[in-house]
Amino acid sequence: MTDIPWNIEPIVRLNDVSIGYKEHEPLVQIPNLEIFPGEIVAIAGPSGVGKSTLLKTIAGLMKPLSGSVEVCGKVSPNRTNRGELGYVPQSLGLVRHASVLHNVMLGANAGHNKTVSISLPVPIPQRIHFFRLPSTLAKNKAIEAIKSMGLEEKINEPIRKLSGGQQRRVATARTLAQSPSLILADEFLSELDQDTIDMVLGEVTQYVKSNNAALLVVEHDISRAKIMADRLLVIDDGRVNPFITEPTAMEVKI
Amino acid sequence: MKRIFVNSYSLPFFLLSIFLFAILILEGMVSDWGRLSGSLGNLTEFIQESLWPPDWSVVEPQAYPVCTVYPTFMDFTCSTAWIGLIETIKIAFVSTVFGMILSLPFSLLAARNLNSSWVSYSSRFLLAAFRSLPSLIWAIFFVILIGFGPLAGVLAMTVYTVGYLGKLQYESIEGMAKTPLDAAEAMGLSKLETAFEVVIPESANDLISQAIFMFEYNFRHGTVIGIVGAGGIGYYINLYLKFLQYDKVIAYLIIIFIVVLIIDFISIKARSYFTEEVEHNSPSWISVFLPSFISK
Repeated sequence: MTDIPWNIEPIVRLNDVSIGYKEHEPLVQIPNLEIFPGEIVAIAGPSGVGKSTLLKTIAGLMKPLSGSVEVCGKVSPNRTNRGELGYVPQSLGLVRHASVLHNVMLGANAGHNKTVSISLPVPIPQRIHFFRLPSTLAKNKAIEAIKSMGLEEKINEPIRKLSGGQQRRVATARTLAQSPSLILADEFLSELDQDTIDMVLGEVTQYVKSNNAALLVVEHDISRAKIMADRLLVIDDGRVNPFITEPTAMEVKI
Repeated sequence: MKRIFVNSYSLPFFLLSIFLFAILILEGMVSDWGRLSGSLGNLTEFIQESLWPPDWSVVEPQAYPVCTVYPTFMDFTCSTAWIGLIETIKIAFVSTVFGMILSLPFSLLAARNLNSSWVSYSSRFLLAAFRSLPSLIWAIFFVILIGFGPLAGVLAMTVYTVGYLGKLQYESIEGMAKTPLDAAEAMGLSKLETAFEVVIPESANDLISQAIFMFEYNFRHGTVIGIVGAGGIGYYINLYLKFLQYDKVIAYLIIIFIVVLIIDFISIKARSYFTEEVEHNSPSWISVFLPSFISK
């Protein structure tokens, strides 16, 4: 990205990372990967190759088998970056029996307390977050995110009564309300119709570009991945699982 | 999974051999089969002489204290059956509420998908300890500690409820989907926030329906703990059993049977509101008597 100064810190930095479930057979080996603010990166590749596992490792849900994963300057494990990381799993991870607002408020609260803990001079231990005051600021942010996803009429509906596409929009709204520095999304455009894809992608892209956040998205459809991403990473199920960076349309434009 | 029963004959053969094994054990325990022959005669004699007809004086007001209920058709509320029944229901209700409040923190700690294994196993150990003794034994224990009366019953049932309900709760918490927890962890929500805003809302339907089931369970068992002096209708049953007034005992038992059926029905009806498919799952009277796969 041309408008990023040369000395800017990357949001994600992976050094000699190998990921997987078993010690002796790593799924993917990544010598070096940096994702910068304002960047949209897509990971593509055949299924079962370890795309989602890579996302989970960056989200801090799994430990890398070797190497270091650094998000927002904090190295995993034992990192506590509350609200800095938004994760949309493939099955969305919504609280199915709670309302749309409740789900989006989860993200809004995580993001809201992030800003509070930064602005106060005294560092707050994380467990104090539970005893927070009810915040109209967080609620307004949640409602704003729900409106941006066009779900204001469903705001008090339980998630289980919504369609698959609507649920996907709720998960996106939850992440937007959190205003994270890094969004990790697993197949987040699947089972959406074209109009909704345009809306969701437009909102998320606008958020990423205007807030200097980063978006890392797993996308099995390479043609779609090329359209939305600034950079495309292809994990190929080859002999040593090579990690290829392909130039894409966006980079050609620059 | 490995197939144990290779061909279609081995499963019936296996079941038959288990049945024969059970017969063999029974044969070893019984010394005199001849005693069975007199049982039918004993039964008819017992029913004719002392069990039937039931003595419905148990629903009439007690002689002392003097019944002052007005209007007079309400005077059954002074009867021992009514007083004991209401006390049993009160004990069941109070101990279910307290047991629910106490078991929730234990079950949140015991769920392996929320806590490290040593936290969950120590919590499980505690719950198993509460559950290992039946509420009747707990009742004896609390009667020894604090004396006769409903308080001993409430404490006994509460302890047992914590153990039993806690197990049901942590099992349903462990059965919830993993991805909401993943998303909450990635967001950086604290453990308490995750528990109160993700886990409890997600499994709330299960938790409520388990609590209703537990009330039903506690009522049925609450009729027994009165026998050791821990309050409720069991006290009167024990009393008349000792006086060999079986016709009064059978009257109490019939009353309990009817109330259990009513509470079962209310419980099934109430729990159906907390399952997802209310429209397809309308309970009927018949489902109180029969398991759901038959009565549907």
